[in-house]
Amino acid sequence: MKTPIFAFTLSMIMCLGARAELKWEQTTVELHPAPNDKQAIGHFKYQNTGKTPVHFKSVHASCGCTTAQTQKEEVPPGDKGEITATFNIGDRTGTQIKTVTVETDEATNQKTVLTLKAEIPQQLEVTPNFVFWKQGDKPDSKTINIKVGKDFTVKHIKVTSSTPDFQAKVEDAGSGQFKIDVKPQDTNKVVASMLTIQPEDSQKVFYATARITNVPTAPVAPAGQKPPVAPAAPTAPARPTAPTGQTH
Amino acid sequence: MKFLLARQAAVLAAVALLPAAGEAIYFRNNISWRSAIAPSEMVTLEQARAWGDAAIWVDARPDDEFARDHVPGALSLNEDRWNELLPQFLAVWSPGKKMVVYCSSLSCNASREVARRLRKEAQLSDVFVLEGGWEAWLKKNK
Amino acid sequence: MNQAPNAHPPTLNVESSADATTSNVKHRTSNILWRILDFVIGGIFIYAGALKGLDPVQFASDIDNYKILPWPISVALAFYLPWLEIFCALGLMFRFLYRGALSILTTLIVVFTLATIAAKVRGLDITCGCFGHASQHWSFASHLATNLTILAALFALGFSNRLRKPS
Repeated sequence: MKTPIFAFTLSMIMCLGARAELKWEQTTVELHPAPNDKQAIGHFKYQNTGKTPVHFKSVHASCGCTTAQTQKEEVPPGDKGEITATFNIGDRTGTQIKTVTVETDEATNQKTVLTLKAEIPQQLEVTPNFVFWKQGDKPDSKTINIKVGKDFTVKHIKVTSSTPDFQAKVEDAGSGQFKIDVKPQDTNKVVASMLTIQPEDSQKVFYATARITNVPTAPVAPAGQKPPVAPAAPTAPARPTAPTGQTH
Repeated sequence: MKFLLARQAAVLAAVALLPAAGEAIYFRNNISWRSAIAPSEMVTLEQARAWGDAAIWVDARPDDEFARDHVPGALSLNEDRWNELLPQFLAVWSPGKKMVVYCSSLSCNASREVARRLRKEAQLSDVFVLEGGWEAWLKKNK
Repeated sequence: MNQAPNAHPPTLNVESSADATTSNVKHRTSNILWRILDFVIGGIFIYAGALKGLDPVQFASDIDNYKILPWPISVALAFYLPWLEIFCALGLMFRFLYRGALSILTTLIVVFTLATIAAKVRGLDITCGCFGHASQHWSFASHLATNLTILAALFALGFSNRLRKPS
């Protein structure tokens, strides 16, 4: 019983002595960017409550999409400031959590982790956004499910195919859901199409891909042979990577 | 008295080991003891190279890192330009291909996120995250 | 022929047996109260252990967030700790291996509290406490307060045990 008492007392002392010089108003910021926002910005305010100036040794983010800025390198006692974290949303969706690690020259609290939590609203959820048939398969229709985001109302959506090889039909499934039935004309040719999905009265468009793929050949294809790709989907064909032959 | 306490504690500690071991066996496929990602989603560099042409290498890093250097033949697919890059990737994919997604170092989240979105949105199977990431590939090839 | 000395003992006997009854009642009441505390604390630990034991994958990840232990150890503890808590809680409630159970639970709470304080000092955003992911919305203060209350109760039980007659 003696050891726990000792450890407990020690922890209480530690707790009192461990008061950091740099006091943060909050270390977690929750953001709710608007649907068309390209960035979400979090402000992490601090104040130097100690008696000595605090210097920032490093401020770096958990990923390349987030940048963090300190307004000053040195914080005199009593001064306030903030670290601005800018999260470039890109095409990210859902709940995004990014962190910024701040290192200072404080005696007892050198590392602080600032957390930016952003809820990215998504107008439509397209699942799956890729449907395909193998050459020679029966040209049955396949379904793409559209779910409207909970903060949005969409009454109507329009779907167009970039090539006439595929037909797309929209069906209202009710309660914020739609179904798109995609059907190829035939599965004889290797073709690809981009399906453009647009909610009415909206600038934003969503995409899905429909393809007829070639039948997979033997596990290791001979070098240089790649499936022909229809002009509708531009891309550089992947060059085969030889498993051996890499010398130091 | 002290020995009684120690003995009792030891018995409890030992008894708790049994169901703990049982649970560890039950959950063995859901958790990797080596790293914080599910084992069925990861692949080592050796395994990925052994797949040869059946593998499609996917670079989940930002555009500038990809432009500087990447695995030869890898496709760029990152979350900054997902909507633009995904259709390009899907055009190259064919059934039976195994996708090897990488980004810089094991602790980076980008490859896991890209892999997750490929599985969830495009509903592709055989999507793997490269263990050790770009750094592992560099070590073996430079 | 000496009736007077005989008259004394019966009166004395009645008095001392009355005292004994009163102190017996007092003992039983305090015994009941301690037993209730046993069950309350035991119940808390069973609840906490069960919550964590149901999702060891999440628990391993939560332990890892403290950044104190290497990952494989976090995984091992994620499987082991909930069961240790449950068995010790049962020991507390049903009085088997009582002292051992009490000391293990006390040690767990102390270590846990120290880890939480260490995490706070290092500025880590810990989203869970002893109640696993269910307590992720609690503040640091409420985590600390809960831990300290449980610790106080465990100490009380530990000290009371010495004064109690072995049952």
